[in-house]
Amino acid sequence: MTMGKKTRVLSGASLEAYFRRILRAVDLSDDQRNEIVRQLRGEIALLRVRKGAHAGSDEDGVTASSLANILDAPVASEFDPFTPNIIVVLRQGGSDAALAALATIESAEDLHTLAREQRLHIDDDLSSIAAIRLAIVTAAERRVANRMAAAT
Amino acid sequence: MPQFLAVSNRKGGVGKSTLSVMLAHAFAAWSGLRVLVMDLDTQCNVSLMLLGGEDWQRACQRGRTISDYFYNRFDKVAEDESAYVLNDVGDVAHSRAKWLAAFRPAPGRVSLLPGSQQLEDIQGELLLKHSKKDLDADAVAVQIRARMKRLMRHFGMDADLVVLDCPPGLSLAALAALDLADHVLVPFRPDYVAQFALDRVAMLVERVSSAEQLATIPLEQRRYSCLPNCWTGDGHERLLIDQLALDHPLLSTRIPALSSIARAFDWDETKKTMEAKYKDALPHLRALHNELAGEAGRLAKTA
Repeated sequence: MTMGKKTRVLSGASLEAYFRRILRAVDLSDDQRNEIVRQLRGEIALLRVRKGAHAGSDEDGVTASSLANILDAPVASEFDPFTPNIIVVLRQGGSDAALAALATIESAEDLHTLAREQRLHIDDDLSSIAAIRLAIVTAAERRVANRMAAAT
Repeated sequence: MPQFLAVSNRKGGVGKSTLSVMLAHAFAAWSGLRVLVMDLDTQCNVSLMLLGGEDWQRACQRGRTISDYFYNRFDKVAEDESAYVLNDVGDVAHSRAKWLAAFRPAPGRVSLLPGSQQLEDIQGELLLKHSKKDLDADAVAVQIRARMKRLMRHFGMDADLVVLDCPPGLSLAALAALDLADHVLVPFRPDYVAQFALDRVAMLVERVSSAEQLATIPLEQRRYSCLPNCWTGDGHERLLIDQLALDHPLLSTRIPALSSIARAFDWDETKKTMEAKYKDALPHLRALHNELAGEAGRLAKTA
């Protein structure tokens, strides 16, 4: 799938984070919010399965077992833009440790997502994986320095 | 001696007054303690939550507020201060804890030293009045702060727990409260500016002037703990909490953003149970009570 800069498909964890952000404005208990997020994930999964069924077979629709598999699939298998917490890794282990933690993420798109979600400003035009990782660590160092400067 | 618990954050709108009242109710209801709430905030929200507008206005007219107390007693030997305290305030009916019945005849209760919109003016007047005797403004401020601390401590004689609801900012009364407190609870909303607010209040409480000095004090020896309030649990908040936990002692309790908490403080004269007042916020309040009761126990041992 080709994606431009302005539009992109959110992965499972990003999607869940997006729903939670939206639902924060609504008066809900934690349980209610969790249930709505779960239902929304299910609905999105259902749409994806239907789309896949249209594209790949004559079957129109989805079986209960395939939907259950999607709903029960652990979110951890999706990219989580909040992990690793780059500032925590940086402060505990230095920039080498932060770079090493980022080395586990091999997609430029995921690295950009991580930077955006962790509020680490990097240039949107960066495309080299190594350059993105370095820019993320530099942005994290700036964040830490910024906070230390304020704490006087 | 009572325990003094200050609820403080220089940043406004983080839930200091709401949590002060919630904790007062919790410790009176579940620990059977005699809790005195001292309203040090010129917004007087704690007073309005516990008294309603009319009774608070009457206390002001009768000269029975915190600013009257400071002004009238500043140069005098402390006397019986009970005239300034309003007992059994609030709309929660407290029953005696069964396990305490054998040791203490009275059930838990919430009392209030009402707040005043004049408190900042009074502090200014005291500064001016005493500056005539001493030209060093800093020294005068220190003296006034120390005297306020003594006057506040005197109030604790008839209480097991004194909750000091501090104002945002750094008034002399707020600084005196931070000096006096056995423990400081720092509520915060988990957003970008929270980290700066926590750093600053932490340095005040621990009496250091930089993040480097603060870092030399082990987290378990700090005199404060931080409480995430209006918690939604989204990824950004979790990121921030992990970062803050490197520098500050965080409570494991999180108070979610619940409309039941906001609605619990609509003024109502009808006494009710904790369950009826706090509804789905009750488990969170109980968790906070239990965790702070543990903190207080730890503090008492180390004192």
